[in-house]
Amino acid sequence: MANLQRKRNRDVAIPNGSMSDIAFLLLLFFMVSTVFVQEKQFWVERDRWPIAESIERIPRNHTTTIYVMRDETILIDDVPTRIESSEDTFVYSSLVRKKEEDPELVVCFRTDRDTMYGVMSDVMRQLQDANTLIVAFETQQRRD
Amino acid sequence: MKIGRKRKGKAEIPTSSMSDIAFLLIIFFMATTKFDVKEGIRLVLPQAAADDAQQAQTLTLTEKEMTRLQITADGMIVVNMEAPRYIENAQLDALIQQKLQVNTDMIFKVITDREAKYNDMIRVVDRLKAAKIEKISLSTN
Repeated sequence: MANLQRKRNRDVAIPNGSMSDIAFLLLLFFMVSTVFVQEKQFWVERDRWPIAESIERIPRNHTTTIYVMRDETILIDDVPTRIESSEDTFVYSSLVRKKEEDPELVVCFRTDRDTMYGVMSDVMRQLQDANTLIVAFETQQRRD
Repeated sequence: MKIGRKRKGKAEIPTSSMSDIAFLLIIFFMATTKFDVKEGIRLVLPQAAADDAQQAQTLTLTEKEMTRLQITADGMIVVNMEAPRYIENAQLDALIQQKLQVNTDMIFKVITDREAKYNDMIRVVDRLKAAKIEKISLSTN
């Protein structure tokens, strides 16, 4: 007669010894990728951007951002400036320097939607003079 | 007198709650992280015009080759030489398609008044981009 032995039930446990390692790896990822943006008075809120439909993603690695406020203040490299005459060439000089550092530079505009177009035109004229010709107007995606 | 030597207990840092702490921190960073993705309308500006009048080229384009969309300070649009009027997005799409039927290679010149809102210019450029038009010229008056 065959010797039938009941198999012993082994303890089944999910190994969780490496759980904290995984958690810390995730933690490191978020710590490294998090950017706390601290721009207070010059920040153009996202809900103040224009809304558009035909938008495209812009790779961040060759971009620089120019903020244009409703009161026609321009912020470039965290320095506020204004274009009131042809002698105000701060935008031009900073873009010439940036273009030398990165020939594939893309200038992104974060502009309040109620800004007068005149100031944008002045900035774009200086962009053309600095030979930084690729621009992107940052917008919100239309959600109908 | 008998003096007993105290037994040394094992000194250990309790690590069982380490993963709880780590997960709490992860939740904090997940909640506060904002991936700043850039999205918008991309355009390539033309080269700056040469100061030398001899180098500058003058092109005369007809209505069949170029459509002027002039945005006024109050958001109205003047199409070529027509009267200014407010054009809704759907009407603007229809107008663009109508112009493309005349010439599939049509150039659209967006002339925005200095006093016009930036939003009005973006609205027109957005409709042109939606119609897959590549030849867009921006200028001001």
